[in-house]
Amino acid sequence: MMRQSRIFILAAVSFLATLSAGAQNLTDLLIGEVLVENTDGLTDGYGHRNGWIELFNTSNGTVKFGGCYLSDDKSDLRKYHIPTSDRSAQLGPRQSVVFYASGDASHGTFHTNFKLRRGSTVYLVSNDGRTIIDQVEIPSDLPADHSVVRVPYGVKEMDFKTEINPTPTPGSYNGDVDAKTKSQIMKEQDPHGWVLTLIAVIVVFSALLILAFIFGWIGDFNKRSQESSRKPRKEKKARVARGGLTPEIAAAISMALSQEFGGEVYAAIAMALDDYLSGGVHDLESMVITIKPSTSGNWADKTQNFRQLPR
Amino acid sequence: MSTIIENLKQFWFFTGFANATWQNLAMIAIGIVFITIAIKKGWEPLLLVPIGFGMIIGNIPMFPGLNIGVYEDGSVLNTLYQGVKQGWYPPLIFLGIGAMTDFSALISQPRLLLIGAAAQTGIFGAYLLALLLGFDPNQAGAIGIIGGADGPTAIFLSSKLAPDLMGAIAVSAYSYMALVPVIQRPIMLALTTKKERLIRMPAPRQVSQKEKIIFPVVGFLLTAFIVPSGLPLLGMLFFGNLLKESGVTKRLAETARGPLIDVVTTLIGLTVGASTQADKFLSGNSLKIFLLGLLSFVIATTVGVLFVKFWNLFLKGDRKINPLIGNAGVSAVPDSARVSEIVGREFDPDNHLLMHAMGPNVAGVIGSAVAAGILLGFLG
Repeated sequence: MMRQSRIFILAAVSFLATLSAGAQNLTDLLIGEVLVENTDGLTDGYGHRNGWIELFNTSNGTVKFGGCYLSDDKSDLRKYHIPTSDRSAQLGPRQSVVFYASGDASHGTFHTNFKLRRGSTVYLVSNDGRTIIDQVEIPSDLPADHSVVRVPYGVKEMDFKTEINPTPTPGSYNGDVDAKTKSQIMKEQDPHGWVLTLIAVIVVFSALLILAFIFGWIGDFNKRSQESSRKPRKEKKARVARGGLTPEIAAAISMALSQEFGGEVYAAIAMALDDYLSGGVHDLESMVITIKPSTSGNWADKTQNFRQLPR
Repeated sequence: MSTIIENLKQFWFFTGFANATWQNLAMIAIGIVFITIAIKKGWEPLLLVPIGFGMIIGNIPMFPGLNIGVYEDGSVLNTLYQGVKQGWYPPLIFLGIGAMTDFSALISQPRLLLIGAAAQTGIFGAYLLALLLGFDPNQAGAIGIIGGADGPTAIFLSSKLAPDLMGAIAVSAYSYMALVPVIQRPIMLALTTKKERLIRMPAPRQVSQKEKIIFPVVGFLLTAFIVPSGLPLLGMLFFGNLLKESGVTKRLAETARGPLIDVVTTLIGLTVGASTQADKFLSGNSLKIFLLGLLSFVIATTVGVLFVKFWNLFLKGDRKINPLIGNAGVSAVPDSARVSEIVGREFDPDNHLLMHAMGPNVAGVIGSAVAAGILLGFLG
């Protein structure tokens, strides 16, 4: 029955898995590039040359941006609403999309209802209409056919700096096109994965093998030190004896108690006394009787946390 | 009157009834199935209840732009989801795991660490197969980690390497962990002889408190120096264990293995469930991931058992290892160790393998965190 239910849930999960994947946040988007005056560059589907805004997805996941807003006016952040109904309003990992600032939104999802102006600021606003995800200031002296571009840099190309670009690249990656992710490099160098597999198996085995050796040695050392510490234990017994409690007395007490409570109590007390007299450290383990008092301070004592009653 | 009707109409368009799709309803039904099985059968309730309810939450049909969905910035669910996306939750769960794990079985028989290492081949076997099926290396790495049989590690690595596949990977990993008894038993029986199943191993020696304290410190230093990219998981795992074993941080250890891990498990289950939204994804890749996940468990179990058999060729007398603990390198703690015990007692009721199997079992936790660090280092 149990097995049947497990197989049933396996089937359910496999169905679920067909529907599964993930998506990322709108904050992974940024304005990648902006061009105001376009005289000989990109044309839209109507053959017109407009200014344009490029959005870039910085993450390794897919981002849906339907419902977000574009604006060039901070007092009206909801100026252009990107339709939520358009299925193409999404960006794959590290991809970009161009919006034409044609001033005529009736031309389609990717045409804003405003035109770009020098000296203004372009805002990308979250779908709540309030949160500014990213913004780019357009210099008032930006030459024609020059763009303001956010160039990725850094170890993993996850940081961005703003530059003026005389050769705009709408819809293309703004960084070093030859720069590749580690995954892309591995795909070229090790397309079948054998090299990585071999290295990884060696490293995992080596790490755990070294750990095994170290703890083998520590275990041996510990056993030896336990054997050599038997003499000091005798001294301790003697010291305890000076305090009045010898193993013989302890055994006598235990035997007297066993008369009254039976063998189990005798065994338990004998174990506890033996542990105490031999300097045992079984302070916190389960199934071991603890008679060693706590050596920690009383700060952890729950009674210290009680609120004092008002007097 | 017309104003009322108009407003009611407008209200209708905001309701879930007006926005529902068949995918939403299908996902909600699956969520209910998960919850039902968890409650009625008691089957992995700590995971299936939050994940199942999360699926229901994440698939309530709604009008977009209300800023309440898991992928909408600033929403409550989105804020909670950051723990998955940014990878905060898995290390916190590892802290709790460290604080509740007794490594004595491993410390007393350190050679069993190697079985935990051998079982990690499931990760790399799945990685190779995923590449064969056309996945990119980063995606293949994220899929392969399912073979680590460790939900938090799978979520951690997939959130870094292939966020688009995280939902499928997480659900796949948790499902197969729960299915460990079904998957492993036939493999163990097929690969061992009756004589091998009857091998008795000597009782492990008693481990001193000093050794237990040294273990997390040395274990962390060694593994973190070898694979620094595994630092978040390894650091938290060993730190949690030090809290447990030091004996002077009892309250911190109890919090880590109690309230803290409970809170994080609730949140990770809920948000992973909520992230599996039907309208976000419909991908054939997910079926492949599920298949690869199954194969990774099969490979890990097979290699674990065969590795012990091979090792036994060089061992004599009571040094021999019962190959039924080979499966326990799959770090689904403590389920795979429990499978060793149950299968072992089927053939010899007095042969208790649980304590021996716990060694490779917890070694598997360390091994899978190390493997995740390697994959992150090469592909991240």
